[in-house]
Amino acid sequence: MNVDDVVREVLREQAAELTPPAPGFADRVLAVRRRRRVRGLATAAAAVAAVIAVSVGVPGLDSGGEGVRPAGGVEQDRITGRTDQSPPRELLAAGEVAMAAYYTTEKVRRSADRMVSERTYWLLDPRTKKYEKDDRWSFVAVAPGLKTAAVLERELPADRVGLLDLASGEVERWIPVDHEAGGLAFSPDGRKLVATTYGEDPGLLLRVEDPGGPVGWEPREISSRNGFQVIDVASGAGSWTEVATGDEPFGPAGFVNARQDFAFSADGRFVWAGRVSDTVELDYFDLAGDAVAPPTREAHRTWHVEAGLSPDGRRLAGDFAGKGMKTSSWILDPLTGEQVAEVHGQQLLAWADNDSLVAWDIAADGNEFHQRLVLVTVGSGKVVPLSGFRSPEDDAKGRWEPVFVRR
Amino acid sequence: MDAEAQESFREFVANRSSALLRTAVLLSGGDRHAGEDLLQNALIKAAGRWHRIDEPEAYVRQILYRQQISRWRLKWRGRELSVAEPPEPGTDMEAASSATELRLLMRGALARLTARQRAVLVLRYFEDLPEAEVARILGCSVGTVRSTTHRSLARLRALAPELRALGPSAAESKPARDYSNVEVRS
Repeated sequence: MNVDDVVREVLREQAAELTPPAPGFADRVLAVRRRRRVRGLATAAAAVAAVIAVSVGVPGLDSGGEGVRPAGGVEQDRITGRTDQSPPRELLAAGEVAMAAYYTTEKVRRSADRMVSERTYWLLDPRTKKYEKDDRWSFVAVAPGLKTAAVLERELPADRVGLLDLASGEVERWIPVDHEAGGLAFSPDGRKLVATTYGEDPGLLLRVEDPGGPVGWEPREISSRNGFQVIDVASGAGSWTEVATGDEPFGPAGFVNARQDFAFSADGRFVWAGRVSDTVELDYFDLAGDAVAPPTREAHRTWHVEAGLSPDGRRLAGDFAGKGMKTSSWILDPLTGEQVAEVHGQQLLAWADNDSLVAWDIAADGNEFHQRLVLVTVGSGKVVPLSGFRSPEDDAKGRWEPVFVRR
Repeated sequence: MDAEAQESFREFVANRSSALLRTAVLLSGGDRHAGEDLLQNALIKAAGRWHRIDEPEAYVRQILYRQQISRWRLKWRGRELSVAEPPEPGTDMEAASSATELRLLMRGALARLTARQRAVLVLRYFEDLPEAEVARILGCSVGTVRSTTHRSLARLRALAPELRALGPSAAESKPARDYSNVEVRS
């Protein structure tokens, strides 16, 4: 017997064991569709969001869970939550991090067969502590300290990086880049920037015809990413490193997404980016552009989990650990990759201190896209809501993405 | 969606949901909950365009396959499916029990493939579709279908070393890559 015979047999056997969907499946689908549409329209009603935020209980992971303590618009234990706001209008912060900005994404038609997924940013004004819309930029990275941001202008990829004074709203200096950039990230000390360079707009979507169906829009299978440039912020000096992407979208080396940006390692000595692959998921380079092995404490990093290493380097934020209606994430030992704890939260975004993280978590309806920001703590079932719920509708105005930065 | 469209949608779901669910669950590595979720999302998408769809079944199937391997899903592929650990194979088991254990091992291994690897195997070995058709559905080249099939089978052997005793498949005896200009993209 050959291996494909067994595959065939097992797939058929599995299929034959399945019972049909419960009666009324079509009505369930139509009901969910209606609910999603209504929710998409209703999320602007902050009052509704506030009521949900307070009334929904998130069960503790263990029987000793401490339930919910909503954080109001007042600073308590260095936590400033906005449970009645989605997206937040005023400063949202927890421990060492603050939401420096947020953005929404919109698909804009450029021609018959091209569309671009564009971001619009709202930036925290350090004087008023409010988020103000600034639609001049297609990409924004905020430096630690929340005073300066690096920005890219509207048409991506861009040939210069602006240093924006967040208090005045003025660009203080322009830094030209050798290769056009589509993404930016600051080093942990704010003295360097890494610009990810692309051959075309990483938000580009192309028209794809579905057989028997309407038109779909998908990113190019092979990313146009071509490298990165490390920039010294003070002098503007930089050097570019070419990083090739494979020419086979699902080849043995894996692939990179249309937008797959570089960022600095926790100690600022390396830059890295993720890769979708069965084997190697992380590519690290030193600042001279030579490929290196990942630093010891980051070798087990999950690239799509933004939180990364805890400030003291003793914990690593890991992947989704939940199942069914339970949403939780792993905390890993950075040295071994071993799962050492499980915390609430569907997606870990930033470490507020050595024990707590800001995360997305879902509403009690179980819809994986209907989420709010919460603060979770390792070794505790406590969940502190920080924001109102965002809309589950893809591309909806209510679907904002936060940018967290050390304050 | 007007009343008439809703009625035709209900009729379609009543007639075809069992078959579609089988595909969705196999694509989800045997996880029924994830499979229902996948099918529900595909049907919601179809419902939104019901008037404009000529062949609902082909459309829903295409969404199932593409949705499962989309970037968003890839982002979430860390959500590994839980499968019962197959028993350790004994040393002196009888042929029948060894075949059963082999199938259990295979189930576990299939659930651990990437979504794209599993999609190719389901299309090739469950739906019995020719390579060109698989390429059309997934929106890639025949060469990619071939190499992905090859790598998926190799990965199954790596995940469950007991499968190494099995003979190579026809797909594995072909070259893994095809450099010809066969680009099937409608």
